[in-house]
Amino acid sequence: MKPASVALNVPIIIQKKKNIITEFLKQIDLQFLVIPAIIHILIFSFIPMYGIIMAFQDFRIGDFPGMSEWAGVRHFVALLADPNFVLVLRNTVVISILKLLIIFPLPIIFAIMLNEVTSKHFKKTVQTISYLPHFISWVVAATLMFDFFSVDGGAVNTALLSLGLIERPIHFFGRSEYFWAMAVITDIWKVLGWNSIIFFAAISAVDSELYEAAEIDGAGRYSKMWHITFATIRPTVILLLVFTVGNLLNVNFEQIMTLTNQMGNAALRETADIISTYVFRIGLGQSRFSFAAAAGLVGSVINVTLLLIANKIAARSGNEVF
Amino acid sequence: MVKRKSAGDWVFDIVNISIMLLIVLATLYPFITSIAISLNDANDTVRGGITFYPRVFTLLNYELIFQNPLVLNAYTITIARTVIGTITALFFTSLFAFGMAHNNLVGKKLYTALCIIPMYFSGGLIPFFFLIRSLGLMNNFWVFIIPGLVGVWNMILMRTYFKGIPISLEESARIDGANYLTVFFRIILPISTPIIAAIALFIGVGQWNAWFDAAIFITRDELKPMQNILLSVISEAQFAQQMAQFAAEGGGALPGDIGRGAARVNIRSITMATMTVTILPILAIYPFLQKYFIKGIMVGSLKG
Repeated sequence: MKPASVALNVPIIIQKKKNIITEFLKQIDLQFLVIPAIIHILIFSFIPMYGIIMAFQDFRIGDFPGMSEWAGVRHFVALLADPNFVLVLRNTVVISILKLLIIFPLPIIFAIMLNEVTSKHFKKTVQTISYLPHFISWVVAATLMFDFFSVDGGAVNTALLSLGLIERPIHFFGRSEYFWAMAVITDIWKVLGWNSIIFFAAISAVDSELYEAAEIDGAGRYSKMWHITFATIRPTVILLLVFTVGNLLNVNFEQIMTLTNQMGNAALRETADIISTYVFRIGLGQSRFSFAAAAGLVGSVINVTLLLIANKIAARSGNEVF
Repeated sequence: MVKRKSAGDWVFDIVNISIMLLIVLATLYPFITSIAISLNDANDTVRGGITFYPRVFTLLNYELIFQNPLVLNAYTITIARTVIGTITALFFTSLFAFGMAHNNLVGKKLYTALCIIPMYFSGGLIPFFFLIRSLGLMNNFWVFIIPGLVGVWNMILMRTYFKGIPISLEESARIDGANYLTVFFRIILPISTPIIAAIALFIGVGQWNAWFDAAIFITRDELKPMQNILLSVISEAQFAQQMAQFAAEGGGALPGDIGRGAARVNIRSITMATMTVTILPILAIYPFLQKYFIKGIMVGSLKG
């Protein structure tokens, strides 16, 4: 076969093409397992991508998706000039960074500390309880948090009042200056346990002989925690860090929506409005579709950029994700 | 080798365990106190001080909320979307993952790219909204089911698991003449319980807790799930709070305040009863769930 094919290229190409289609047809029953899902993805994930183009156009209801009047970068210019958007961008960045600095390390510390407890039973019980807030929706979480921090008989205010630390109850969810703190606190409550799972799993992979060897070498407790436990889970930490940074501006939409009464609480809007809630209000609420699409796109672009930067930095220490 | 504990060790252990207990308390307290309030007489709750248990036990709050036909209806919707949504999504996603686990799949690279791209590029909420509208899924129960049929993350987890199954099992079955569907249902599925259980759990919990899709795609009351009923209730509660704070800050007594006062009390009890009802099934099966989702995550991530 081979010598003949060197002389004549064409038969090989035709043969190759026929192969793909024949191969495809030969495994058609396998393909049928996959094709419905692919169609689903094309419909629900790819078709809406015209939203990216929408940001550069003037979309009106009734326009065929992606075929509206061209507007260039007009919306983006308008966005940057809009003080509302600048505020929204500020809120998004602040909340994201606060969460990164506070909420990212805590599950790691939690996992390492709990690992130091000797009783397996205790460890397991604490873990199981800590996952519970993950399994409720933000609607339920908001309900619990609203009551916990309520002005009217809520646990926190009652405690603070009876300890004499404050004179009048604090309206935790009613004033915009408290919102950033509340967003961070309620999020920690909800995700601490769940986010620590992956670190517990990584810790369990640590070779216990390492601990004994370190002990013989005279390593103290903190030394072991740092040089063995943390060192082993470092790749996991970095992996998660890259993903978190890449998702940085996707501040939890559901959390913000439920804690602010779906943006109905105007008192909080100054600090609570983030990119996704802004898109929701302006786009679906005020029907300024292209403008909202532009806002969303700005967020996505920042995210992808951050992801690539984070990955590059991680690559320097040999821990790149891509 | 006997490990001698130094004084420093003891201090560390005590502090550590105390912190852990504090975390447990902070996690559980909102749940316990809310359930206690739901089981407590509304007029007694006003007096404050309910912490871990109801002082004046009553089931009245629950009776009241179930008198509202909307609540029973919403519960049915939530159960329906959870059961139907989980089974259908499991079906499509697992078959998809099984197919993708085959190295000889024609077009595998293309399919994989199609899966990954939407993770980074999305058109956003508004085109999705229009799409749902054009598909006729507005105010339609199936809007809870159809968009969620294929989850790429879930597919990847399942694919990792399936790849770990020895190909010889499949090959010997195919030699005996079985087609891929038969291979999947008769051979692969029975030995895939850990991952199926884990994914079913994730999808199920996701369905039970979903509320935003109903918020923007459903306006008919009879299609609202339980989460959205709770959402309406806490919106009212928050409104009452605003009024209370406004009055407390010297905004002047509003004529409606007196009525609001009484309403506020009942709103709290009603809110807690509604919330407890909403999370009841989750709480009930929670103790039994741990091994499934832990295993699922470990299987999916460690192998990958």
